Amino acid sequence: MAKKDKKPVVGFYGLTGCAGCLLSFIFNENEIVSLLGMVDLAAFPFIKGKQGDKEFDIIFLEGVVCSNDDLDMLKKLRAKTKILVSLGACASTGCIPAYRNFIDEAKYLPLMYEKVHRIKDKDPKPIDAYVHVDFTIPGCPPNREEVKSFIKQLILGKTPRLYNDPVCVECKLNGNHCLLDEGKICLGPITRGGCDSVCTNGRFECWGCRGPCPDANYEAFIALIKDKGHNSRTLKERMQSFAGLKLPDELQIEDAPDYVG
Amino acid sequence: MTNFTLSKVDLNAFIKSLSKNFDVYAPVKDHVVDGGSVRFKVVSDAKVICLSENAYYPLKELFFRKKEVLFKYSEKGLEVPVKKVKSKAILGIRRCDLHSLANQDRIYMREVPDPYYIAEREKTLLIGYHCKKAEEYCFCGSIDLQGNADIMLYELPGNKFLVEVHSDNALRLVESLKKIFKKTDIVIDAESRKIEGSNRLQKKDVHSFYDNPGWQEGIDKCLSCAACNFHCPSCYCFNIHDEANVHNMKEGERIRTWAGCQLKSFTRVAGEHIFRDTRKDRFRHRIYHQLQYFKERYGTTLCSGCGRCIRFCPTKIDFIDILNRM
Ligand code: SF4
Ligand code: SF4
Repeated sequence: MAKKDKKPVVGFYGLTGCAGCLLSFIFNENEIVSLLGMVDLAAFPFIKGKQGDKEFDIIFLEGVVCSNDDLDMLKKLRAKTKILVSLGACASTGCIPAYRNFIDEAKYLPLMYEKVHRIKDKDPKPIDAYVHVDFTIPGCPPNREEVKSFIKQLILGKTPRLYNDPVCVECKLNGNHCLLDEGKICLGPITRGGCDSVCTNGRFECWGCRGPCPDANYEAFIALIKDKGHNSRTLKERMQSFAGLKLPDELQIEDAPDYVG
Repeated sequence: MTNFTLSKVDLNAFIKSLSKNFDVYAPVKDHVVDGGSVRFKVVSDAKVICLSENAYYPLKELFFRKKEVLFKYSEKGLEVPVKKVKSKAILGIRRCDLHSLANQDRIYMREVPDPYYIAEREKTLLIGYHCKKAEEYCFCGSIDLQGNADIMLYELPGNKFLVEVHSDNALRLVESLKKIFKKTDIVIDAESRKIEGSNRLQKKDVHSFYDNPGWQEGIDKCLSCAACNFHCPSCYCFNIHDEANVHNMKEGERIRTWAGCQLKSFTRVAGEHIFRDTRKDRFRHRIYHQLQYFKERYGTTLCSGCGRCIRFCPTKIDFIDILNRM
């Protein structure tokens, strides 16, 4: 066992988000005691009463930057840690909140908290739009196994590696029947795997929450979906839902539909 | 060897008697969990068996496991798990899958004897099924098919199978079930061993096509999803990684999983170099390994002509058609 003073000082923090990504650490309920034993946990909203204010070795940060408060906090945290890990889809791609970038302001303003005007301070962006991010753990929410394995690798002195293969790989290993062949729009081939294909295991198509697979062949994929009788607008809207600002520029829709009412 | 007949009505009795000593696997079609695809599953009743479609996923996963714990490590040393495997009897294996299984046996039983594979594979009883008509993407007639079953079933008129017996064990088994296996003089001639419409691949020698512009059409449609690898009954590549035990990080398991050559990660080596980085290199490599490299080394194609890599490719890239036009 590593000596007590050698344990990495770890903090979990959230910007604007739902806290679900922070929970993906806690969801390792059978291993959490051992995981906590490996680190010096200095900050974690659900676990620590008082959040530490020291220097960190690793900070896991969830949530999207969409206010000046978020940005201030992000910059402070970056300055306090050696390693910054973007945890989950909001921090990594902008995810659903980033949809605001594609909507006409007049359409969403009435939906905002009337008294908390600072919320409209900033267009929602992933954290790497502002600071350097050392590692990314994608997903909405991240796979708890991946969070666990990430920590184990760091403790073992390995460089944690992002899963680069498409979702289809785990989907096939899990023995599923391909939903594309059933005519559904499954984003598996263009989406980064590592989720153990949790959606398609339940026969629900992949919506791309882990962001684009680096080797995605968009042209072929879009042609395939059109061939199945879907229009490319529907497809792009779906691709944009979770991949947010990480979708290649030419595939972004600038005028997202009016979901108000 | 003597041939026999088996009435389809007696298939159930045959399965019941096999079940005493074997886990009996056969192709089963399920709409609820498998989206209407056919899978090899343990059966106890002939009613559920579907011989009219080839299985969605190949047989190899029963031997070359998708995930295999090779050993456990700790400060005390290594511990290789002892596999306790019930013998399998697999019914309804098509000629193409027998060919692929023979190739897997070559790699994992003879070239590099693999105890994990051998434990699953030895004592397995293979009961083949001669399908009559090729499915849309099949091309087994263009392949010099190898591989044998212990028992081979051919369709006969009158709701019967002709039963060819190819091993001593199988003969003992068949002769012990005199009530359902009846001796016969019927033999299968060369013509009836052929499968209708399966001779699609005309350009079998792909040597000279390496730089042919014809590949581009396939490459442009390829999503690099590796479905072709995972549906292939022949592909035998794997990855290995260590998984430390979270409760004691000095212990853990070394794990082997299936790998696919269509993925960039497949050829990532130390220093982050990826030596088949382009889709083109990866796409072409699969076809060349299947039709040329393996043959140069072992005298038979790795490919069995089952057509799964086309049928279950999301964009249905028909590389047979592409080759024929080169
Ligand atoms: S269901 Fe989706 S993730 Fe699974 S193989 Fe098909 S396209 Fe890929
Ligand atoms: S299944 Fe088709 S699209 Fe997927 S990697 Fe293979 S050839 Fe490419």
